[in-house]
Amino acid sequence: MLQVRGKYQLAESAQFHIAIAKMNEQGFVRIIDAETLTLIVEANTDAFSYSDVIPSLPTELLFHNRCRFIPDLAEWTWPTLQPKSKILAWLETRWTVVLASLILIPAFMWIMTTKVLPAAADAAVPLLPEVVAEKTGQQTLAVMDRTLLQPSQLTTEEQIKVNQLWQQVLKTTNAPLVNTELQFRDSAIGANAMALPDGTVIVTDDIVKLMEKHPDALQAVLLHEIGHVHYQHGMEQLARSTAITMLFALMLGDIEGAGEMIIGAGASLLQSSFSRDMETQADKYAHHMLPKLGLSKQTFAKALTLLAESHGDLLSKGNAKAHHWLEYLDSHPDIKKRISDSSNANTH
Amino acid sequence: MTTLDSAFPNTRIAQAEFTGQSGEFFKIWIVNLLLSILTLGIYSAWAKVRTNQYLHGHTKLEDHGFRYLSTPLQILKGRLLAVSVFILITVLSSFTPMLALGMSLLILVATPWLIMQSIRFNMRMTSYRNVRFSFKGNYWETVLNFLLLPMLALFFTLGIALPWVHQRIDKYIFDNLSVGGQPFKLNTDVGQYYVAALVAIAIMMAGIITIVIFAGIYGVMIAQAGEDSAEQLLTGTFMGLIVLLYLGLFILNFVAIAVSRGIVLKHIISTLKVEDVATFKTDMPLSGYIKLQLLNSLILILSLGLAYPVTKIRTRRFVAQHIQVELTEQADTLVNDVQGKDPAFGEEAAGFFDADLSFT
Repeated sequence: MLQVRGKYQLAESAQFHIAIAKMNEQGFVRIIDAETLTLIVEANTDAFSYSDVIPSLPTELLFHNRCRFIPDLAEWTWPTLQPKSKILAWLETRWTVVLASLILIPAFMWIMTTKVLPAAADAAVPLLPEVVAEKTGQQTLAVMDRTLLQPSQLTTEEQIKVNQLWQQVLKTTNAPLVNTELQFRDSAIGANAMALPDGTVIVTDDIVKLMEKHPDALQAVLLHEIGHVHYQHGMEQLARSTAITMLFALMLGDIEGAGEMIIGAGASLLQSSFSRDMETQADKYAHHMLPKLGLSKQTFAKALTLLAESHGDLLSKGNAKAHHWLEYLDSHPDIKKRISDSSNANTH
Repeated sequence: MTTLDSAFPNTRIAQAEFTGQSGEFFKIWIVNLLLSILTLGIYSAWAKVRTNQYLHGHTKLEDHGFRYLSTPLQILKGRLLAVSVFILITVLSSFTPMLALGMSLLILVATPWLIMQSIRFNMRMTSYRNVRFSFKGNYWETVLNFLLLPMLALFFTLGIALPWVHQRIDKYIFDNLSVGGQPFKLNTDVGQYYVAALVAIAIMMAGIITIVIFAGIYGVMIAQAGEDSAEQLLTGTFMGLIVLLYLGLFILNFVAIAVSRGIVLKHIISTLKVEDVATFKTDMPLSGYIKLQLLNSLILILSLGLAYPVTKIRTRRFVAQHIQVELTEQADTLVNDVQGKDPAFGEEAAGFFDADLSFT
């Protein structure tokens, strides 16, 4: 017979007795008033359950009639308490487990966000109905038109010229691309081109002017953008970031304050690394397709050099536009590496 | 006070205490975080319950610990429902701009409800000596206090009325709490809220004036120095000075927040009562509170947020150490008046939409 002092708290009431609990190996328990030594209650194991075992807190007897017995000793162990109910508390008190957590938490997050989730999200993209890509593309363009982009200042002749280049490029791409459409916009972001999830490709006035004398370079840029469309990068990006947001919301529902912020910052860093992979893939697509247009593979390197020079000018002028270039650096692979990659592609 | 003493001659003073340990809670927190992540968030419901059980259980008055009564499955159900709603809203609003607008309106309308549900749930899931707490605030009063008044104060009084709104919010929360059918009463004085705000502003102003004076002295130094040495001064020391000043402002900002919070917290504790049951008192030194908050911020920054559980324990211990409760005999005969298992949806959704508030 084991016994422990504690408090017997009456059901739904602030009243309690200072009491002694005596329990035998079978879990038969007697609660005795510590002052009067009279029996308050006696019960079998089927009349009570145990509270959760929490480090440094006593494990209470929870009687089914809502009375409780709270031992005075936090380390007190009831004879019939299942060892498995102590597992969590055991884990929660080991420094070795803490050390393992410090390694496993970032490692697991890393693998989930860089390998598992992107793969799962990419696999889900073909399953999404066409309308999702369409709506998202339209939505993105609508938002950009209100913020980054202005109507194009190009003359109709200039636009027709570029459209002819675009049609040539489209003919060489073997897969018939649905809904691919070229759009002209003026923008403060400078010479640039972008592909939207629904297949819309946007070229800025600056890039058209920059490559006026180098139509082949513009075609290489267009091929790069078609590469994004071909691989459905827009939708993949969307699916990936949605998946990651959801995972983080789920896993970290409980993390408050600074922890949330730091882990969140990690997530956005990872997202820029996705987009770097996608840029490399689109670069390769352009390399692969250029010969079909009758152009040398080096054309892409030429386009990149032109772009780098144009943005370099902005950078040296200390222009406000330089800020965008820094962002561009973040989401795109190192420009020098891209140029050398595309030059090498030629020699192989 | 005197009326209380005469009406209830048999009162006693109890010292609140918090017996949790930083290292111990850190271990619990990080292991629960690991399990939550490995189970893709499912375990987080268990994590929430276990950490709350630890914090409640170690918060004691007269050797009786508080209890956290929610169960993991209850939390999990609420959390899954909240996540579903969150996903639905995210997906729907990424489709059409009109719908997105409608959704933000919906969230705005839902926010007061979520705040209310969150307080209600947390109170009803807390008990002391088998008697649960409860909150009886309603939707429209929450809209008024949490949404309408702050907006009006901001736009029409340029924030001058904000301390008054702050006082009303605290009063609204506490006056709607009860335990065993005995209502809480908060008798705050709006003056203290203005004192807190003014002290914070004064600290920031003093800081800015000091910086301006420094900058002025520096400017004179450059003007008087020869051309060569002026250039030297400009490049080297100037940058250092700017960094130093920014750092100073940053720290000052923390000090200002800690001071105003400390003033308000002391005032709340010392004017709080549970009718016929308890009168709260505090001997909290303001300087101690400021030191605590500044150190907490420092270790949070240095540990990249990892010390969050440590700061939580430190704050709880400090505040508990400085709360005394004068209890009447009626405290020993309270009877629980809260029944049933409440759905956790409101509390969980509040967490997702950042509508939950943490007040100690």
